[in-house]
Amino acid sequence: MPISSRQARPLLFAAGFALLNVAMYFALGKFWIGGSSFLPMIGELGPEKKFLFAFIVNMGVIAGAFLGATSSREFRLRWPRPALLPKAILGGVLIGVGVTLAPGTCTTAFVTGLPMLSVSSFLSAAGIFIGGFIVFQFTMRRVAR
Amino acid sequence: MSFEVLLALGFAFGIGFGYFVQRAGFCIAVGLAEIYMGHGKRIAKLLALIFAITSVGFLLSGHFNPSLGLKPIGQIRGFGFYNLAAGMLFGAGILLNGGCILGTLRQIGEGNLTFVVVLLSFIPGMAIVVHVLDPLLVHGYHVQKPLLSGLLGAPASYVTLALAIAATAWLVRLHRRSTKGRRGASLSDTGTMDGGEGTSRERRAG
Repeated sequence: MPISSRQARPLLFAAGFALLNVAMYFALGKFWIGGSSFLPMIGELGPEKKFLFAFIVNMGVIAGAFLGATSSREFRLRWPRPALLPKAILGGVLIGVGVTLAPGTCTTAFVTGLPMLSVSSFLSAAGIFIGGFIVFQFTMRRVAR
Repeated sequence: MSFEVLLALGFAFGIGFGYFVQRAGFCIAVGLAEIYMGHGKRIAKLLALIFAITSVGFLLSGHFNPSLGLKPIGQIRGFGFYNLAAGMLFGAGILLNGGCILGTLRQIGEGNLTFVVVLLSFIPGMAIVVHVLDPLLVHGYHVQKPLLSGLLGAPASYVTLALAIAATAWLVRLHRRSTKGRRGASLSDTGTMDGGEGTSRERRAG
């Protein structure tokens, strides 16, 4: 089963992400988290300011993505299209509610919670799959009409 | 270590996360859409690999430093009802705007300013829960933080290794399928290696 370099590259970068998450846990005793990291935007810093730490990590993620995009010539400044804004805002509000209603319910469940064998992450992942499926079906029906 | 140094190190790790996420083209929303459409499975392969590596890494951390090891992430609230509900809202949200948390941050880094609007829209959603719903619902949360190994009554190392092996087997199966599909497509279609395979990122991902 030969793997071409084109196929292997994303897998290597994904492996890099996973190894970095483990390395941060070894070095700082902290792992990557997503949703709760934005609570400092409403003034909630969390116990021992752990949400603030996660927020700063995620500001680094934006900087790192910028670095990756510019180095691969994929960076392109795109202004918001007015027609897409209602969906973007509604989607953002739903994400905001979801990540706060049950902590650990977001991308964290997939990249940190499931590997930690956290039962809440298995439940969240099931919910994410169901919620996504409902919206997908609704969207596909509208497209089909 | 002072908190300022911790933040600086966190930012440095964040740059690494962002670089890898951007280069891998990782996003859960895209992964879900691929699964619902029944083809692709590009993100599923990345998720399987991330799971296999991270689960073994987290498990080993406890052997090197007893204060680390496996820890519950988040909380079970309302015997799982709130987790399912929150997951459904989150799943709906990411499918609507086309980006999970990492996907949103990646898109901002790539210059897509629509995702700045998405990020700022988290604020009213989070504020509704913290200031309105939490005070009303907190008595029904019944917070629990179990690990799967505890629930099954099996050693964490056995559960982790079994799941890591399953994830690796799934990754190999997905890879074989995509390799077969690509061979079939290139023989039956245009005869070119890259004919009709979609965007540059999709081609890169295989």
